[in-house]
Amino acid sequence: MFQHIQNSRIKLVFGLVVVVFLLVIIRVFYIQVIEYEKLNTLAESLWSRNLPVQADRGKILDRNGNEIAGNETTSTLVLIPNQIKNKEEVATNLANILGVSYEEMYKHVSKRTSIERVHPEGRDLSYETADKINKFGYDGVYLLKETKRYYKYGETLAHVIGYVGIDNQGLSGLELLYNDYLTGVDGSIKYFSDGKGNKLSMPEVYASPQSGMNITLTIDLDLQLALENELTNALKKYKAEGAIGIVMNPKTGEILAMSSRPTFSPINYQQYSVETINRNLAIWQSYEPGSTFKILTLAAAINEGIINVFEDKYYDTGKINVSGTTLHCWKHEGHGSQTYVQVVENSCNPGFVVLGQKLGKEKLFSYIDRLGFGSKTGIDLNGESKGIIFDLDRVGPLELATTAFGQGVSVTAIQQVTAVSAIINDGNMFTPYIVSSISENETGIIIKENKPTLKKENVVTKETSDLVKYVLESVVANGSGHNAYIEGYRVGGKTGTAQKVGPDGRYMVGNYILSFIGFLPANDPEVVVYIAVDGAKGVTQYGGTVSAPIASSIMKTAINLYDIKSDPEGMPREYLWYEQKYITVPDVVNKSKKEAVSLLSGLKVEYSGTGDNVVSSSPSAGTRVKEGSIVKLMLN
Amino acid sequence: MKKDKVLFITTILLATFGVIMIYSSSYVWAEYKFGNAFKYVINQGVFLLIGIVLMNLISKIDYNIYKKHVNLILLGCFLLLALVLIPGIGVVRNGSRSWFGLGSFGIQPSELSKIGLVLFVSKYLSKNDNEKRVTKNFVFPILGIILLFFGLIMLEPDFGTGMIIVCALIVLIFITGTNLSIFVKLGMLGLIGIVVLIIVAPYRLKRITSFLNPWSDPLGSGFQIIQSLYAIGPGGILGFGFLNSRQKHFYLPEPQTDFIFSIISEEFGFLGIFIVTTLFLIIFYRCIKTALETEDLFAKYLVFGLSFMLIFQTLLNLMVVVGMIPVTGVTLPFISYGGSSLLVSMTMIGIILSVSRKSN
Repeated sequence: MFQHIQNSRIKLVFGLVVVVFLLVIIRVFYIQVIEYEKLNTLAESLWSRNLPVQADRGKILDRNGNEIAGNETTSTLVLIPNQIKNKEEVATNLANILGVSYEEMYKHVSKRTSIERVHPEGRDLSYETADKINKFGYDGVYLLKETKRYYKYGETLAHVIGYVGIDNQGLSGLELLYNDYLTGVDGSIKYFSDGKGNKLSMPEVYASPQSGMNITLTIDLDLQLALENELTNALKKYKAEGAIGIVMNPKTGEILAMSSRPTFSPINYQQYSVETINRNLAIWQSYEPGSTFKILTLAAAINEGIINVFEDKYYDTGKINVSGTTLHCWKHEGHGSQTYVQVVENSCNPGFVVLGQKLGKEKLFSYIDRLGFGSKTGIDLNGESKGIIFDLDRVGPLELATTAFGQGVSVTAIQQVTAVSAIINDGNMFTPYIVSSISENETGIIIKENKPTLKKENVVTKETSDLVKYVLESVVANGSGHNAYIEGYRVGGKTGTAQKVGPDGRYMVGNYILSFIGFLPANDPEVVVYIAVDGAKGVTQYGGTVSAPIASSIMKTAINLYDIKSDPEGMPREYLWYEQKYITVPDVVNKSKKEAVSLLSGLKVEYSGTGDNVVSSSPSAGTRVKEGSIVKLMLN
Repeated sequence: MKKDKVLFITTILLATFGVIMIYSSSYVWAEYKFGNAFKYVINQGVFLLIGIVLMNLISKIDYNIYKKHVNLILLGCFLLLALVLIPGIGVVRNGSRSWFGLGSFGIQPSELSKIGLVLFVSKYLSKNDNEKRVTKNFVFPILGIILLFFGLIMLEPDFGTGMIIVCALIVLIFITGTNLSIFVKLGMLGLIGIVVLIIVAPYRLKRITSFLNPWSDPLGSGFQIIQSLYAIGPGGILGFGFLNSRQKHFYLPEPQTDFIFSIISEEFGFLGIFIVTTLFLIIFYRCIKTALETEDLFAKYLVFGLSFMLIFQTLLNLMVVVGMIPVTGVTLPFISYGGSSLLVSMTMIGIILSVSRKSN
């Protein structure tokens, strides 16, 4: 029989079957090899239940590694009702430990849900409570680590740090700006369950949480605490409305301390007004700087070679007429004939009007622009403002005149600190910054490091810089800044008394921002301190009275912290009649008793030993002592 | 004369592997439903032993006996199919009244009809070989009988088995060498049929759309296929190992039945799948070899018809499980749980073996 056609068709069908088999095998290969990752992940999430283990948020540290923002660890109770076998027993014991009624606890342990929490009794558990629960070792009863933000120093640095919300997410300040770095990766306890939610006997997988990254600031906690203290006291003492303080290293732009009032406690941020918690006044508030701005006019005039501060004179009658408007000096009767050093020492407004006029508006405003006013300094914080500077074409003679002594412009504290730092740092301007580095918590490996950024060179020449420093030292030694004087140290600075513009656009009466900007040592500044007190009451409305002593106190802290050496080369203080005078103890060793007494005029001399030859003195030569102090001489 | 040893052994190997896999895939459900993890595996094990004896026995019987009594056999099948539809006699399982319950065992007349119909059609086709050029006379009468049975099975309803029977028998008709144009027409008829079936029961359309994108309805119609993919995918190349499937833990419903192949993929990975499919292909190859070698036209058709029916069902099951075609509710021969199905499959191989013994 011939069955060719049947056989060939059978072969054809066989071939087709083989082809379909191959397709199935290829498809299986595709699913198991190509789509493996995707399906495995999806299936894994189906099989496994994750109990979250919260990661620590990164710490915020000061420049010396002191923790400003850290974490508090607590335990929270998590129930997996499907895994709890003896529900009555578990409910009874948990109810006892947590102080919840049995009925309520039974509801929790038998709820038809995959993960159940006991709110609020099961959260924030102490170690002892957690331990009690742990000892039972019940299936389906888990204690998970939770972490909460903790600010050891309360309100300290609040505006810079910011605050976090209920889920530890940064909501303002550095907490917000660096949230991605600070946020860690939550870990988990993963267990496998069947389709009905029962735990399978496969081992639990623990994925440890990864802490967020630590941020190290340029802030010096000791200096910051001193500043916070001073501002708090000032606010109390003067019943002031607000205050600002900034300490910066002029050579690098590192912010060493920054604070403002009103402040808040980051943990309880909800209890404060939105304005209080969200406005970092040190970089946000812009206001008329007043006389501290004269540093700029002075530097510009010297740099342009317009005046010789020692020889050129100005005669102050107490007022000056600028295109029909009379501008007054703060001293009604005027300062009379002064050198320009004295003009600065006296903070004489008409003298500065003349300097402004000599410079001309183009030059003066080019310095304003060059020193960064009217634009952001670029500090690594959120919420900085630009301030307001006149458009050049709208500047008439009057605007030029007032700008020269610091009225009619609106600037921020950080702009002033940055500009003055540039002027006294040989004309080199550094961008202020507050974050020094970001590093991994476990390894300490630095992920990101901020270095000082030289923003502009030669905003003024080195010679100008030196001269300005000299004049400002003289302001503290002989002039309006004398309250900032520190015996044996070289301090430069300038006071400021700025009128505030009220809501009606007019200057408010008797309501001033009293400020002082100072630096130390005056010949080679290491710190610049700016203090402004807003709306101080019951005190002479004058920056020298309120802010200069605060700045002086901060600088004294800096002296201790940075071991800044005493420098007898500084300008001697010019004393007012009611003030105590300081005298440098002269070298009297090997002098005769009589010679020594005449050299030690103004001091009380006591002797020990007999003889006529001075062997030593206590205090020793070069020490600055108060007039009338006792000097003991050892005779032989 | 000797029977085909390769076919005999491969079949036993595959069925034994099936019983082992039934244990692995079913113990979770068996424990849950009956409190006895071995419930399914013992049942199937008993059937396997009966099946091997039966297969051996049938391989020794001359297949020409069936040829003689084919009309009687088909009539029996017809009566059983009609009887099963009567409530009280037929038992409903999984939505189909397709069972005669005998204690915990059950018999599906639709399974028996598979053999009956192949016998009948093979005899018809071999007897009327001379008329195969005249499509009308050759094809239509037998097609009528096939559709009659299909209709009965669809009344249960058991779409999967009905389709296997119709498709396998049409391919059997194709083998005879008849004119091709009839198959084009049949194909169109089939398409219309499918449309009608969908209109009658819209849930079938849902099955089709869910096959195209199972994730469109992950908890409804796409559920099974997604659960199947979750078993196959994570299996990877080597699988989780015997007994280590996760999907059988109440994720994949009734894993010992239609979707047992997913559990095999999960536990033995791509390598296991490759071996299992190769075993199926060896069986089919040996059958085809027998069909090609025999010169008895009835035997040729019989062997081809039976073996193609098995392999077609196999492919249908695999393609459903791996998501290539919509869910049809077809079990995997030799492997899926089901006593009567296993016995029928092994009987089929027994008949093929008896042919191979004779032609050698």
